[in-house]
Amino acid sequence: MATLARKDAPAVAAEPCQYLTFTLGGEMYAVETLSVKEIIEYGQVTTVPMMPPSIRGVINLRGAVVPVIDLKARFGGQPTEVTRRTCIVIIEMGGSDECQVLGILVDTVSEVLEIPPGEVEAPPAFGARIRADFIRGMGKVGGGFVILLNVEAVLSTDELSVLDELSRQGTPVDAGALPRLGSSVPG
Amino acid sequence: MSAQMDDALQTLIIESRELLQNMEEALLLLEQTPDDAEAVNAIFRAAHTIKGSAGLFSLDHVVAFTHVAESVLDRVRDHRLGMSPALGSLLLEVCDHLGQLIDGVAAGQAPDDALSGRSDAIAARLQTYLETPSAVQAEPDFSDVDWPDGNDIAPPSAAPVHGNDSVTSGMWHISLRSGPNLLRDGMDPLSILRYLGTFGQIVNLELILGDIPPLSVIDPESCYIGYELSFASETDQASIDGAFDFIREDSVVRLIPPYGPIADYRALFADMPEDSLLLGRMLVRCGSLTEEELAQALETQGRMGPDSGGGSPAPLLGEVLVAQQLVDKPLVDAALERQQQVKATAAGEATLIRVDAAKLDQLINLVGELIIAGAGAQLVARRLKVPDLVESTSVLARLVEDVRDSALTLRMVQIGATFNRFRRVVRDVAAELGKDIHLDIQGGETELDKTVVEKIGDPLTHIVRNALDHGIEPADVRLARGKPRQGRLSLNAHHESGSIVIEVSDDGGGLRKERILQKAVERGLVSEGQVLSDKEIFGLIFEPGFSTATQVSNLSGRGVGMDVVKRNILALRGTVDLDSVEGQGTTVRLRLPLTLAIIDGFLIGAGNASYVVPLEQVLECIELPDEDKPEQGASYLNLRGEVLPFVRLRDLFDIPGEAPRRENVVVVQYAGERAGLVVDQLFGEFQTVIKPLGKVFSHIRCIGGSTILGSGEVALILDVPGLVRQVTERQPVSRHLPSTLSPV
Repeated sequence: MATLARKDAPAVAAEPCQYLTFTLGGEMYAVETLSVKEIIEYGQVTTVPMMPPSIRGVINLRGAVVPVIDLKARFGGQPTEVTRRTCIVIIEMGGSDECQVLGILVDTVSEVLEIPPGEVEAPPAFGARIRADFIRGMGKVGGGFVILLNVEAVLSTDELSVLDELSRQGTPVDAGALPRLGSSVPG
Repeated sequence: MSAQMDDALQTLIIESRELLQNMEEALLLLEQTPDDAEAVNAIFRAAHTIKGSAGLFSLDHVVAFTHVAESVLDRVRDHRLGMSPALGSLLLEVCDHLGQLIDGVAAGQAPDDALSGRSDAIAARLQTYLETPSAVQAEPDFSDVDWPDGNDIAPPSAAPVHGNDSVTSGMWHISLRSGPNLLRDGMDPLSILRYLGTFGQIVNLELILGDIPPLSVIDPESCYIGYELSFASETDQASIDGAFDFIREDSVVRLIPPYGPIADYRALFADMPEDSLLLGRMLVRCGSLTEEELAQALETQGRMGPDSGGGSPAPLLGEVLVAQQLVDKPLVDAALERQQQVKATAAGEATLIRVDAAKLDQLINLVGELIIAGAGAQLVARRLKVPDLVESTSVLARLVEDVRDSALTLRMVQIGATFNRFRRVVRDVAAELGKDIHLDIQGGETELDKTVVEKIGDPLTHIVRNALDHGIEPADVRLARGKPRQGRLSLNAHHESGSIVIEVSDDGGGLRKERILQKAVERGLVSEGQVLSDKEIFGLIFEPGFSTATQVSNLSGRGVGMDVVKRNILALRGTVDLDSVEGQGTTVRLRLPLTLAIIDGFLIGAGNASYVVPLEQVLECIELPDEDKPEQGASYLNLRGEVLPFVRLRDLFDIPGEAPRRENVVVVQYAGERAGLVVDQLFGEFQTVIKPLGKVFSHIRCIGGSTILGSGEVALILDVPGLVRQVTERQPVSRHLPSTLSPV
């Protein structure tokens, strides 16, 4: 149904208003359906050592190795607990010169919602639980708000790889415990 | 047809670039040995072929420009003009400019004003080498030749003495019978005529249409026509011959020079399928033969007829000509030899084919998938424990391995071409710096993966430029230091345990350790009083923003460079190191993997995860002795009397859970350094298809990439040098641990 609507109205591509909603730690978030490639069940994530907790690991997506980002850890919380309903949403970014495919770990995937641009409020200056630049806007849905994520900022490759750099610099001399830098995101 | 034309044009572009490369190499060679006739010929041939092919595509700007260069080269070839450094430089410019013209053709653009202006400027400078203009006024004894339009083309300046055996026509005679595939091969008989028109004039042309079949059976894609034409031109036989280079294979081309012997015409009559009398009439109409000459030719031809038809096998044309004392025996032998050579080169070329690199990449990707799928099948077979199935999957695995190896060799290219490019770099940079530098190339035949070759060009250029600029001293300093005036830079490549090692060494001033150290302290890279080994000090110059050059030249010295070099090489899973002796020179050593796609790996397990170590870095595996089991971190063990430092993968990677009772040590070696990796399990050899980890992991150390196991699980590939570095950095007390070990 969602894809059908998209094909019928190419003008939508210029002003996307379809969002995939999902929950994360009880909170409702949404990403544009245009950047969503597919949704897969959680399974067989290979942990990459010496990485901050926001980078959960890598999966084999039909022959391609795709990194999986733990959104809850990225937002400064604890690593996501895997349950029966945990999913990986595969996101495609860039597109113009270099296309990047990443997976994000979410608690549950809810539904595809149509939110017209008029129903999207500017992000609050403060008060949200996550960094302001991660929020593209607040979608009004049935009297409540859904946080529309700015995927480019949340999954910024530069920032994620710098996180990894930071984690290395912070590595204590005695071997063993890795620093948990997920909560002290720069910027 | 137009698609074929495009293909042909693409071939022209590729070939022209190759020819220009040859031309440049030959020109640089000529600078060393100015008398090398072979090099001069090579340059001439290159220019000539480019001109010829460009003419076929009516690329007039290329033809016009190359023509001037060719004329100059022709004089050099005939020793009418000596090679001088100035001419050499000019010809190198010609070479570069032709490259730009060809680039323009490749981009499908018409030359802009700037480019045409440059063409004219260079052509004008070339003209100064052509001391006499080529156009000579027509001489009176050519009044019998009927020039159809205009007198702008001059006939040969002096008519040779011709007796009874020669014709009186002062024009070339060209006979062409085009092969049926001419059009299908992307050629056009018309474009050849057009090209001929660029250096002469077609005086008369007779079409031979006798071969055209009835309309009902005609194949529109076949070419049936031939022609006889008389051609007025001052150029030599080779140039005219050149016009037909692309169609010679299929078609019959005969060229008879001005005042050619009647015997040539006689042979022409004998060889061509048409009726001699009919053909003779055409030749008369062309103006190549007079009636008397025709009669003379036909008479001898007629006399020959019964002789050859007398039962014994028909004598070869050459023998006939020799028997009639029309041609010298050596001449025929020489011609035959040349024919043989042409055949030999044709056969040699047939063993090589050009393949689109993208197709090869696709093949390698498919082979990669095949390996992963094969590993999956083998896993299933082992689990099912059906002996026959296990047997057949293992046979399959072996075959897949062979396929992989041969697929990878398809992409292997010699590094020589990359090295040779530096001849020009060294020449130009040396000239700019006013230094005299000789480049020495060794191991150019060493092969490595094309993708690696493409990516080392830039780092290598940086290193070479650095060596030229900062390494090798100016001549006066060299002489004062008791060194030969000419500096030496050498590029050397060889294989070493699954890697390729590329060395760039110079005999210059070397690195001054104190200055590097001082600078490093200034920049805060090293704290004062810290004791570093030579290797570590030299390693500092690869740090970002580090440059000791007191002067900033436009070549290097801005402090960007060596760190970029290092980053590029690390991205290729390679390493850089540097040796230097002050006052004697510096050697930069790049160590690179042979391929970036598929490696032989050794699969190990720690915790729930599997890891792959490149097999060529694994020396042996031993069980971790009980007495060496420390509580935490890295330590060392006694390996047959030698100290082997080791690191526990569990500790390094912070793998949760208890280590099993039995642990194993994988002894790894890299660049002469050895270390042990303590792991839980050893799974054995594994063909590893390398999958990149993506930009998110661009700063990761210890992990070189990833691969997919037969089970579909992702396994990480350990980067052994990075791992060893990580461990040594964590232990500041024993910094030189691995390097103090003797290599095996």
